[in-house]
Amino acid sequence: MSDDHRFKVEFCGLQLSSPLVLLSGCVGFGEEYTRIQGFSNRDVGAICLKGTTLEPRLGNAPHRLAETTDGMLNAIGLQNPGVEAVVQEILPSLDFSQTRFIANVSGSTVEEYREVTRRFDDSPIDAIEINISCPNVKEGGVAFGNDPEMSARVVEACRAVTQKPLITKLSPNQTDIRHNAKRCIEAGSDAFAVINTVMGMAIDVETRQPVLHNNQGGLSGPAIKPIALLKVHEVYQVCKPHKIPIIGQGGIVHTNDAIEFLIAGATAVGIGTGLFYDPLCCQKITRGMAEYLDNTGLSHVNAVTGSLEMHTDATEYT
Amino acid sequence: MESEQNPIFEECARVTHHDALAAQQFVLRLSAPECARHAKAGNFLHLQCDPQRALRRPFSIMRCDPAAGWVEVLYKIVGQGSAELAARKSGDMLQCLGPVGNTFRVHENTTHPLLLGGGVGIPPMIFLAETLRGNPGLHPLAILGSEIPFPFPTRPSKILAPDVPKEVIAAMPLLDDWGIASRLTSLQGYPGCFHGYVHELAERWFLNLDHAAQKGVQVFACGPNRMLEAVSEFCRRHALPCQVCLEEYMACAVGGCAGCVVPYRENNRMVAMKRVCVDGPVFNAASIF
Repeated sequence: MSDDHRFKVEFCGLQLSSPLVLLSGCVGFGEEYTRIQGFSNRDVGAICLKGTTLEPRLGNAPHRLAETTDGMLNAIGLQNPGVEAVVQEILPSLDFSQTRFIANVSGSTVEEYREVTRRFDDSPIDAIEINISCPNVKEGGVAFGNDPEMSARVVEACRAVTQKPLITKLSPNQTDIRHNAKRCIEAGSDAFAVINTVMGMAIDVETRQPVLHNNQGGLSGPAIKPIALLKVHEVYQVCKPHKIPIIGQGGIVHTNDAIEFLIAGATAVGIGTGLFYDPLCCQKITRGMAEYLDNTGLSHVNAVTGSLEMHTDATEYT
Repeated sequence: MESEQNPIFEECARVTHHDALAAQQFVLRLSAPECARHAKAGNFLHLQCDPQRALRRPFSIMRCDPAAGWVEVLYKIVGQGSAELAARKSGDMLQCLGPVGNTFRVHENTTHPLLLGGGVGIPPMIFLAETLRGNPGLHPLAILGSEIPFPFPTRPSKILAPDVPKEVIAAMPLLDDWGIASRLTSLQGYPGCFHGYVHELAERWFLNLDHAAQKGVQVFACGPNRMLEAVSEFCRRHALPCQVCLEEYMACAVGGCAGCVVPYRENNRMVAMKRVCVDGPVFNAASIF
């Protein structure tokens, strides 16, 4: 784990050695990247495991990926072995001394979210992320996440069955993310992950068909970073009075991307697609953040969080 | 087939040779010592064509020299990523993740390995051929097909292949030099090539073998899916063991994203989505086609 005390952050009760978090869907069930020499789970504060449902799911038919300008689309469709296999077979193989592991709970019904959460509650997992924003399944996912009342119902159901920290992963594909965040806090959410992917499509001009077999998918990478930053800023306004922390995520590849999210209000920052650009990017981002603290004279990364200074003289000329 | 949990290396690789061939094909040689030291036939490299691109591109390793520290891939421009790669010059550096994936497995009772490569599916067959050279118990034959000019000068083979029609004589010189029989196929009328597809020449060869030799045949194939389907059908007809090397769009290349999956069958029923990057790229043909 990082020895630099300036990076240790408290995140809804979790002590993270670094504000860097590896994002669900990009790093399998936590150990896949460790095959790369030089990569260590110790380099990050937490790892969000692959989205998990009550029963095993095979996911969507290929093609599941499409590269886009400054990003990519994915439509994996929550391929996973089911919560029982994750708890019984995968969690025992994880080295919890290296980092914190966060389960990502998905479902098609409120009851499924609750049951998967209940199963993880009786496991060594450190925290639970509620994925109400997966754009790539026919039922549940973003259909819940785009409706503040449904989002709150899911959070409430999960809250009822666990005392572990609950992180709600919010969708950018909704009218007012602030209202959704407010309802989720009232329902018992301890933290937020902002944002999930933005729904999109790529078209093959030769076949005139969508590139993705699922027709549409979730856009990630630097292309969505400005959207994500604004959403983090908006959710931060709701969270700040409640001291609810945010994992800011969406297009972080380099140090300055991460710092922008901290400034916008994130306590931790998520790396997903950035790993596809550079599987060893976390070490570089950490070094860059250390330089940033040195250069700015700030004593701790927490001092960066929410330090955004808005223009107060914004003027509209007519 | 099983996934193999070998270490993967991220190297800043230097382009040492980059040769443009006919029909927008290129042979790229990279100085990447760790990849070269650990590479096995079937493995691939995940190359960053341009730092601004979210996704790297997977390329089968064609050759490597562990002592000299280089790896070589053959590719054809098919999109923006490979076009950007083609612009890289000797001395340029590019990020290289590898070696990734599982490997071909030659069975103990195999005497006649049959290597089938189509187009940009040729490279892993060359790597496999190199691992088979000099083995006195094996009688390999490589059949390589292309509908664009072959990415190497062809010449009449010096190695007899008595079970192949005698007019089919064009071969890959490198394989000839290694003492491995090869024959070429194309519908383009290239001299000395079999007029047809690789699986058609393979079947003719197989039917000419005596029974004992037929029992020692194991097939390895890489190429377009339509070719692999035809090869798999040929193997099914004759109950031949067959391993196919697949490609698919890929993001992480380490099994983390499940973006590169292929439907996997057992007893004609789809039972799983396997990741081409780490569960493959080499699969038993019967599980895929």
